Amino acid sequence: MAAANTLNKVQEVREVTRLERIGAHSHVRGLGLNDDLEPRQVSQGMVGQLAARRAAGVILEMIKEGKIAGRALLIAGQPGTGKTAIAMGMAQAMSKDAPFQAMAGSEIFSLEMSKTEALTQAFRKSIGVRIKEETELIEGEVVEVSVERPATGTGAKVGKLTLKTTDMETVFDLGQKMIEQITKEKIQAGDIITIDKSSGKVSKLGRSFTRARDYDATDSQTRFVQCPEGELQKRKEVVHTVTIHEIDVINSRTQGFLALFSGDTGEIKSEVREQINSKVAEWREEGKAEIIPGVLFIDEVHMLDIECFSFLNRLLESDMAPVLIMATNRGITRIRGTNYKSPHGIPIDLLDRLLIIATSPYSEKETKQILEIRCEEEDVEMEEQALTVLTRIGLETSLRYAIQLITAASLVCRKRKGTEVSVEDIKKVYSLFIDESRSTTFLKEYQEEFMFNELTGAGDATTMEVS
Amino acid sequence: MSDHSAWVELLKSARKTSLLQDEKRKIHFTMPDGTELCEEYDVKTNELLIRKWRKKTALGGQKPWEFEIGEPDITDQVAALTHGTKDLVESFTSPKCFRCDNSLSFQWRIRNLPYPLSNFQVSVDADGKSIVVRTKNKKYYKVINIPDMDRYNLQLSQSDLTFAHANNTLIIQYKKPETIKKDQTLLVQEFKRMKTGKDGDTECKTS
Repeated sequence: MAAANTLNKVQEVREVTRLERIGAHSHVRGLGLNDDLEPRQVSQGMVGQLAARRAAGVILEMIKEGKIAGRALLIAGQPGTGKTAIAMGMAQAMSKDAPFQAMAGSEIFSLEMSKTEALTQAFRKSIGVRIKEETELIEGEVVEVSVERPATGTGAKVGKLTLKTTDMETVFDLGQKMIEQITKEKIQAGDIITIDKSSGKVSKLGRSFTRARDYDATDSQTRFVQCPEGELQKRKEVVHTVTIHEIDVINSRTQGFLALFSGDTGEIKSEVREQINSKVAEWREEGKAEIIPGVLFIDEVHMLDIECFSFLNRLLESDMAPVLIMATNRGITRIRGTNYKSPHGIPIDLLDRLLIIATSPYSEKETKQILEIRCEEEDVEMEEQALTVLTRIGLETSLRYAIQLITAASLVCRKRKGTEVSVEDIKKVYSLFIDESRSTTFLKEYQEEFMFNELTGAGDATTMEVS
Repeated sequence: MSDHSAWVELLKSARKTSLLQDEKRKIHFTMPDGTELCEEYDVKTNELLIRKWRKKTALGGQKPWEFEIGEPDITDQVAALTHGTKDLVESFTSPKCFRCDNSLSFQWRIRNLPYPLSNFQVSVDADGKSIVVRTKNKKYYKVINIPDMDRYNLQLSQSDLTFAHANNTLIIQYKKPETIKKDQTLLVQEFKRMKTGKDGDTECKTS
């Protein structure tokens, strides 16, 4: 038992040291709309962009009703005007079951897969199917649980778990994964637990009634449940959501011993896909399954080339297409893979099928509010004056640069043992880290002193645009 | 031929392959819905030694073989117990129940049950669909279904049920009804007439 105790402690320490990382859009919790789809000025981490948010809300409502599929939406705007934030907000506001698949335009260029295959997979990952499946469960009261290190001191830990119902009792040998779960869930004798046999997931239902008087002080959250009856192993029907891509993968695996020789990342045959489509349609007719169209979000969509765009045209026409949301920060630019120029780098025929939402640059007040929200998210205290200075910086350079200064400034502040970030701290980091426009001026001035300056700028530009 | 039961019709309609190997007649069935069934008969006694099913999951994936008759393959379990596993496995000492029929009765053996005979209560469940094994010391409990009886829509009766205990093993027997015995001999006759592949190296003609 002593061994088990030390093990518990080690596990706890490891968990405390886990870092909470803060992403660029982790403050976004929704679109910030009221029930009438009217946007609130500041809500759910979203600021400004009222028209764009409202438009996104309308689309979202259409998605929720499951009415539209195969529609596409384009969010266009300058860099740093909240395009990705709106897409993230939509993802958060969607129902939990609906799949939201986010990818960047450049992700589809892989050596292992053709571009069209990558696009098709992304499409099919964004359509969910709710279906009933039978799983085997083990449900019982824990009589004894013990985890020990082997006597030699090295090697895997061994564990034993005794479970009972009112009618029977069984001893199980535990594997590594299971031991980890049991220590994490703090399972002990007297708990009623279920173990999903296929996934190996352990969940605690509560404590057994017979153990109710074991301790005088139990916390109010402890739930007491009856010890289960009958057999330990039970079959239960559970409803879960899988994406069509997952069904494709299950059915495309080569059966039998040939499976050993085929990789998993290969392409899925179109016959398999057609078969799955008709199977899913059949399930839906019979009421066995429900289709949940999700959202596919392609960021930096101008990185797709002409082949991808024409393939998108085709994909959007199939009856199993999700809602496609794209975002771009380009104006009139060359379509990748051609010499033609087009708005947003997207061919006109695809543009014609899109609903376009435009985002506009933030005003001074909005910039300030966003910076305030980010300060809160990054746990930084800032003086009112410092915030004003930072807002000015944000307006003159870019919002992203200003946001990046927050944590840097707070570190400087902490070094001088201050509690609130002051104007001085902002000034310091502003001089330490130069922004994009200052960097450009600097380069223009001192270009000759850098390496390879004999290459002219024009030559660089042509090599950039690869087809 | 309509006087045959649904079970016989099902086996007849299935796609079949048969093989003689190690004194056993092994027959593999594929049902119209993609379910696979494997049966093994002793060539001499015509007794059914193994009947196992492989069903598809709702999404089309493959499940492992499920044994209706015969002792399941325990290599996986042994490997898991000796080399360690990720998940959990029942320990070696836990009771194991499997079915091994003879021509006259359905029979189950539950091994690793070291309790005296008086500890066991074996009875037909109230709904007449299953046999329930109980222990007075609350160490073991098992509901046994007889798929054969379900296929013929027959009710179980307590009078056909007997049980005994020896060598840490509980043996339960249930007398087969006449209809099942009749169909059984019919099926064996049918399988004997099937084209059967021989084990070993087959001739490989190079045109």
